[in-house]
Amino acid sequence: MSQPVPVIHLENVTKRYPLSDGEFYQSLNGITLSIHTGEFVAIMGPSGSGKSTTMHIIGALDTPTTGKYLLKGKDISSYTDDQLAEIRNQEIGFVFQSFNLLSRTTVLKNVERPMMYAGIPQEERTKRAMAALELVRISEKANNLSNRISGGQIQRVAIARAIVMNPSIILADEPTGNLDTKTSHEIMTYFQNLNKEGKTIVIITHEEEIAQFAKRIIKIVDGKIVSDKKK
Amino acid sequence: MEYKEIISSALQALRRNILRTSLTMLGIIIGITSVILIVSIGKGAVAFITNELSSFGTDYFQINPGNSTFSSLAGTNTLTLDDVEAIREDSSLTNIKRVAPMALSNSIVTANDIKKSVSITGITSEMQEILRPDILYGEFFNEDHDRSAERVALLGVDVAEDFFGEETDPTGETIRIKDSTFRVIGVTESSSALAGSVLNNAVYVPINVAFNEIIGEERIQEIDVSVHDTEQINQTIEDVELLLRDRHDLDEGDESDFQIQSAQDILTTVQTITGLLTTMIAAISGISLLVGGVGVMNIMLVSVTERTKEIGLLKAVGAKEKDILTQFLVEAVVMSLSGGIVGIILGVGGAFLVSLVANIPFVIDIVAIIIAVGVSTLVGIVFGLYPARRAARLSPIEALRYE
Ligand SMILES: Nc1ncnc2c1ncn2[C@@H]1O[C@H](COP(=O)(O)OP(=O)(O)O)[C@@H](O)[C@H]1O
Ligand SMILES: [Mg+2]
Repeated sequence: MSQPVPVIHLENVTKRYPLSDGEFYQSLNGITLSIHTGEFVAIMGPSGSGKSTTMHIIGALDTPTTGKYLLKGKDISSYTDDQLAEIRNQEIGFVFQSFNLLSRTTVLKNVERPMMYAGIPQEERTKRAMAALELVRISEKANNLSNRISGGQIQRVAIARAIVMNPSIILADEPTGNLDTKTSHEIMTYFQNLNKEGKTIVIITHEEEIAQFAKRIIKIVDGKIVSDKKK
Repeated sequence: MEYKEIISSALQALRRNILRTSLTMLGIIIGITSVILIVSIGKGAVAFITNELSSFGTDYFQINPGNSTFSSLAGTNTLTLDDVEAIREDSSLTNIKRVAPMALSNSIVTANDIKKSVSITGITSEMQEILRPDILYGEFFNEDHDRSAERVALLGVDVAEDFFGEETDPTGETIRIKDSTFRVIGVTESSSALAGSVLNNAVYVPINVAFNEIIGEERIQEIDVSVHDTEQINQTIEDVELLLRDRHDLDEGDESDFQIQSAQDILTTVQTITGLLTTMIAAISGISLLVGGVGVMNIMLVSVTERTKEIGLLKAVGAKEKDILTQFLVEAVVMSLSGGIVGIILGVGGAFLVSLVANIPFVIDIVAIIIAVGVSTLVGIVFGLYPARRAARLSPIEALRYE
């Protein structure tokens, strides 16, 4: 039986950033990695090891310096900025550590935003946004301004926005980094539930305890994968 | 595109910094206000003069002694009744309808036991057709009065009220001007907004009587000449000028010792002045709009920097360059257009106040308002474009990493 095409396939990906003195900083040192539909992956590693860089490349926010990146089998390394924007809009859902929402905009409008860029009509936008908010049990805050809700609630709204376009993969960069332990566990439970429903999820964390919610743990040190274990 | 959404988020962004937004709009507000104000006032002034002229008619011109408007007031005495007669008698001046000389003076008038200083105007019957007053009581002078030395007087309506009270017919009463007794034969009222207060505050007597009994010499302040054909008025003016220069023994190159001005000239002068003023103010407000535009650009650049992370987030969730460009451009346009609208409101309001105070018609110039809306939109687009492009071209990771 042939393997199905992975959602994410990185092959020997490197990333170099130019520094101001004319030197380069090698952030990724040849990453090779496949992630399939339905997986729940945690990427771990010390600060500065290249976790976020990896996520930016997987999330089509940045392109590799060398190596190949296939998203659902398509090589997107030569896409234009606008084509990448469309990929992010259709295929990727992001949850960041902080600055996830437009603060003077309502929760509902924040969740509707990706659908606005996709050209989905207003009525359907509202319907789908409300359904997504329902899934993370925060629909009663739909009309609150985003700066009037708590940190845990903000992350739930960000999750709702990440799933609302029904993307191929949900990427979360330290989603619990600003939360207390209890709220962190609550958020991770939401990710777990989404994964049970078939969503593919990649989260980045440096906390072992948080990583334990995932089904596969990849460790990166100095821009290289040092371990990759499935539970 | 989702303009409703984009405009409402632009308004939100601008409201967040309401003081900064208002200060930025100031240049545009000042520019637009001054243009709307001056255009409205200019149009009001022209409408006012046009209206004035239509109450007197445009079919006449006036001759004053001396070579400036002020010399007739200063008592220059270069026009005579013989000049008047010469213009009347010249058979080649076929376009001329009436020639009406006027003499001005001030004198103590006594009537009904009241004593007041009143302006006395010596005129002839021909003046009726030029001043076109309403006759409230009695009648105007006729040709017999022009020739005889009979001491008769017409009262302006304000003078009549001062001496005899409101709604009273003083016809047949007598008044004393200086040392002579005059019989009142009528009361007149001018509806002119500009000249009415002067015309209604005067006592009119036949011009010969004025020279003999009141002024003591022949001194003409103005000759009003009406014509049959207004189209030919400039030719007639030239002919009269030649005739008078000839009579006054002026050589070629000598300056005339009188001035001729037609009603049309006055309108043209007013139009020239308001046109000039409008151009000047337009230039000044152009500078103000430029400064306003640079202000908009500056604030938009600050805003792009402040909202770098927001731009990163929007790009992460799928905003394309054009989406970000549109959002920031709309914000710049909303800001400058709001300034423009405030300017229009202030300008129209100011013009309304000026029209009340100066007693001129209130004119709203739709074209000026449309141009103001267009110009302020354009300022937003032109000066918002550079910051908006900068925002649109930010790389998403740079924007997300920005601290
Ligand atoms: N745009 C950039 N320019 C220069 N250096 C960068 C850039 N992005 C990341 N880096 C560097 O690359 C290294 C890895 O960064 P990152 O992937 O953010 O690490 P982390 O594992 O903490 O998420 C860090 O040392 C960081 O300073
Ligand atoms: Mg990181």
